[in-house]
Amino acid sequence: MEIYLPIAGMSINLFLVVGIGGMVGFLSGLFGVGGGFLLTPLMMMIGIPPAVAAASDSNQICAAAASGAFAHWRLGNVDFKMGGVILAGGILGGTIGVQLVKILRAMGNFEFVMKVVYVIMLGLVGSAMFIESLRTIRASRGLDPGVAAAPAGEPKLARLFAKLPLKMHFERSGLHTSAIFPFTIGTIVGIMAALLGVGGGFIMVPAMIYIIGMPTIAAIGTDLFQIVLTSANVTLQQAFVNKTVDLLLALILLAGSTIGAQFGAAFGKRLKGEQIRILLAIIVLTLTVKLFLDLVLTPSDLVSLAPAKGGGH
Amino acid sequence: MRRGAILLLATALVMAGGAVTLAAISPEVKQKVLTAASKNLIEIGVSYRGDQIHFFGVNPVPGTDLVIKLTAEKDEDIKLSVKGRVGPFWMTVKQYDVTGTPFMYKIHTGKPLEQIVSKETAQELELGYEAIRHKMKMVLARGEAAPDDADKVFKGMIKIKEEANLYNIVEDPKRLEVAEGKLFKHYFRFPPAATEGRYQVESFCFDKGQLVGYGKDIIEIKKVGLEHWFTYTSQEHPVFFGIFAVVVAVAAGLGVGIIFGKGGHH
Repeated sequence: MEIYLPIAGMSINLFLVVGIGGMVGFLSGLFGVGGGFLLTPLMMMIGIPPAVAAASDSNQICAAAASGAFAHWRLGNVDFKMGGVILAGGILGGTIGVQLVKILRAMGNFEFVMKVVYVIMLGLVGSAMFIESLRTIRASRGLDPGVAAAPAGEPKLARLFAKLPLKMHFERSGLHTSAIFPFTIGTIVGIMAALLGVGGGFIMVPAMIYIIGMPTIAAIGTDLFQIVLTSANVTLQQAFVNKTVDLLLALILLAGSTIGAQFGAAFGKRLKGEQIRILLAIIVLTLTVKLFLDLVLTPSDLVSLAPAKGGGH
Repeated sequence: MRRGAILLLATALVMAGGAVTLAAISPEVKQKVLTAASKNLIEIGVSYRGDQIHFFGVNPVPGTDLVIKLTAEKDEDIKLSVKGRVGPFWMTVKQYDVTGTPFMYKIHTGKPLEQIVSKETAQELELGYEAIRHKMKMVLARGEAAPDDADKVFKGMIKIKEEANLYNIVEDPKRLEVAEGKLFKHYFRFPPAATEGRYQVESFCFDKGQLVGYGKDIIEIKKVGLEHWFTYTSQEHPVFFGIFAVVVAVAAGLGVGIIFGKGGHH
């Protein structure tokens, strides 16, 4: 069954899109991550124009994070003050990011830059996750007794960043720390959200826990809160500046990912944390290699169509 | 007097000759090729996956060569990026603004075009890729030009179009069936990439390379219903569309959360 995507301007098999959404949803249910960083590259692989893939993913993330954010808000897990500071950065970053997308598309190098950023980011996250989970597995088997489960050294970073000026009191997180780092990380993740079509939870949550020093549950709740609004801002601006938001695509992906997530969460209960992490690391690293090869192997088409004047595809 | 008459006759002959050459570039004055299309309107709906239109026609000069051309009514302005090596990476190193090429271009004939018309006529009536190449204009927008760019860009453009099934040339009697040299039938496939707009299907009859018959059909493609609304709103009212996309997404996300009774999958 084919479905015509109005903004992507193409006809595509509905089950393929639902299937990809479902698969990413399954993985995100399993690993407890958003999965935007898997979704955008997969959309590109099935022929969705990169800019449409990124913008529509932002739209989908906005939907996928909404119910989680709402639930955490009701449970009192959202640090609104911290979320507000991060969000201010996120709005700024998202706005810069969307303009970057516009400039890069006009230059014909959006896809290139996007893939470079993906390779760096996924390469780092994937390797770190792989090494960390491997160590944990070895430690749990008594092969590497020197390594503790929780990585040491991070609180130092939290103390260092807390010394910066612009100190604020964050009641929900029980912190008295500088607003500079949360704002900066918000800005960086905001730029990435626009450029890559990701929520950025896999960077934001560790940064909140290990660098800002927030309690885990408050970090997750606050991250979801800022993701909804950051991705809403990115969606809005992509629609306005680049005209690349395909709402139909976003809704189909949402349907697929929601169903997939239910199965993923159920399946995840049967696996150990480090097994799950090493599996995710392998998936992330495989994707990194694929994207890296796209950058260095001779492309089959040396000439390509730049986006039409006035947006569109 | 007699000299005057000869002069007059000569002038008339020259004029007549001129009229013949002129007629070659204004096909409308030729004998009409009567055609009928199975439909003249293609509607892009949610389940659109491209469409096919059948054409039937009568050749006014039986036994002559038929050439059918499908083009978009307006030529397009496009920008083409050319990739090159930068260190170990492949990225866009230059761009060309290209004008004068049709968005869609398809030709059906029963035998190779060059056996039907001369190069000049082909160019005049824009028949064949060579004619498009002749008409295409490219201006360097960014980067450094190289001597083989014109060739590279043209071939790259044709490849992109052919892969999207927006361009093709089929020189095959099976594709353009002619019964008793007179009645002909064929079909054009409109791929999903064929966007909204007006397209023309022109039927030419050539007798030993001379244009003797001509006919034209207009096909319109338009988006309808939800597809029309999405496209129109996103292009004309982007701020509203952005807000709408966010509101719908958040509502759908919350709705899904309620259905599954959990806090989403984050």
